[in-house]
Amino acid sequence: MTKNIINIGLPSKGRLKHDTINIFKKKKLNIYSERGERDLFGYIKKLPNVKIIYLHARECIEQLSLGNIDIGFSGYDLLKESEFNIQKDILIKKRLNFGHGTVVLAIADLWLDVQTLLDLDEVADEFKKKKKRLLRVATKYPNLTRQFLYSKGVTQFQLVQSLGSTEVAPFTGTAEIISDITSTGATLKANNLRVLKDGEILKSQACLMQSKLSNKKAGIKKIISLLSK
Amino acid sequence: MKSKKLSEKILRSIKSRGFKVIELDSVIETKYILQRSGEKFKKFLFSFYDLNGKELCLRPDLTVSSVLRFIQNKANRKEKVCYSGEAFRKTYQKKDSFIKNQIGFEILGSNNRQKDDKEIIDTSLNILRNSPFKKSVLKIGNVELFNLLIEKLDIPTRWRNRLKRHYWNESYFNELLKRLETNSDIDPVFVEIDKSRFLKMRKDNQNKIVAGRSYHEILDRFDMKIKDPRKTPTGKSNSKIIKEFLKIKCPLEKAPKVLNPFFKKNKINIIVEKGFFPLSKNNNKNLRIEFSAANGREVEFYSSMIFSVEVKIRSKFRNFISGGRYDQLTTNLGFRKVSAVGAAVNMNLYD
Repeated sequence: MTKNIINIGLPSKGRLKHDTINIFKKKKLNIYSERGERDLFGYIKKLPNVKIIYLHARECIEQLSLGNIDIGFSGYDLLKESEFNIQKDILIKKRLNFGHGTVVLAIADLWLDVQTLLDLDEVADEFKKKKKRLLRVATKYPNLTRQFLYSKGVTQFQLVQSLGSTEVAPFTGTAEIISDITSTGATLKANNLRVLKDGEILKSQACLMQSKLSNKKAGIKKIISLLSK
Repeated sequence: MKSKKLSEKILRSIKSRGFKVIELDSVIETKYILQRSGEKFKKFLFSFYDLNGKELCLRPDLTVSSVLRFIQNKANRKEKVCYSGEAFRKTYQKKDSFIKNQIGFEILGSNNRQKDDKEIIDTSLNILRNSPFKKSVLKIGNVELFNLLIEKLDIPTRWRNRLKRHYWNESYFNELLKRLETNSDIDPVFVEIDKSRFLKMRKDNQNKIVAGRSYHEILDRFDMKIKDPRKTPTGKSNSKIIKEFLKIKCPLEKAPKVLNPFFKKNKINIIVEKGFFPLSKNNNKNLRIEFSAANGREVEFYSSMIFSVEVKIRSKFRNFISGGRYDQLTTNLGFRKVSAVGAAVNMNLYD
């Protein structure tokens, strides 16, 4: 019986949850929960073989790669940040028109001498030679940041994992610069940060994704096509 | 089993040349790798934390372990060592193994550069002679020649340092050369806007810290940057000279005859003498010895002589032995300077 159930992972909170639920509403597929608003499982009357599971957007990516959920809604940034062995088991079925943002590299606005990555590279070198330590980059995106900086020739740096409020890191001594996702840049500006001129790492948006392990599951194609119309 | 016997045979032949066999630690502190290579190498490490929160990793190569051993033993005298074992690196290619079998030999605390460089190359050629590989090529380069060329060119200091720093990253280096032609790293509009902020900040306390840097550091670098010439008329011609230099390949014995006219033609005051290279004669018919200006660009820690021995296997040349001089490795790791020269044998070729 459970083999025929199609598990769909939805973001468990925030704007992304709201916009994703709207997709279902527009298709007249109302999601209901048996135990109220805090219930992390949901169902759709019209689709009795579908089970909704509310997950953190990052967890959604992990579960898709394991095949524990068949369809998921999450950010393109989170997919690209995940390890290669996770990405290879996930298909993007549709890029959605919400959840837009750009992962960027930002520095303290008062670093007047740093405009581009060429400058940053020199400052990183100065840190190593004069301060005898590596320039630290606080981020929730270690893989994307490492790959980007290295591709631009900046190699002398150290990543510092951030779990939230990354913008404060340069002013609390946790790191010197940051990489984070931004949509308007207002939060960065409010925290006296500035994006490097060539500091755009990745453009992102919400995506409808499918686990490759669910390719042969009965009814999956039908639901994907219904949700991506 | 086959490769174990082979590695024992190779070790014996190295030992017969006065190298002492040593055992190396399998686990080292991750910080040493970070200090040497920055984050770029971290993704290849198998790392973990001990109970004190110290980040450790399986040795990703044997050279760092060997150099750390020399420093920790507080050795001061020249030491000739050799070792064999496995190095562990995560791989992102399906075909590659994460275990690298290596044999290494080194002269640590090496004072006589010319003699010790030659000894490492001679030992490598001895290993080659005793190997089953017939056709081979020994490529020799020297990164000091490149650094000297950059010093002699008429380019802003900022650019000089960049080119030297990124010599090891070929694709990014080529991007830099393109930019050098136009010197397009300064936006005059931004400079004008920031000048007024610059003057304001100069009046403030210069020891104030913003994100780990003092006002003084930020403003001095800003000042230096805007005073550097915006456009150098020689950008294009310098880029051409560098590109042409890196393309130079010739039989080693002809290297001075090729290099000296090249420098003369470009009005660069460098003369390469015959004795500059550690080898002059070649008695092996199956071995070609060549000078290659860009040899070994992918391994960042070499500081002068770099060499590699490639052997022909099924119509393709593959790397068998590679080595060179790495006098700056210990200072990069945050220790005192130890001059060193060495090489590693890629035992995976026998698999």
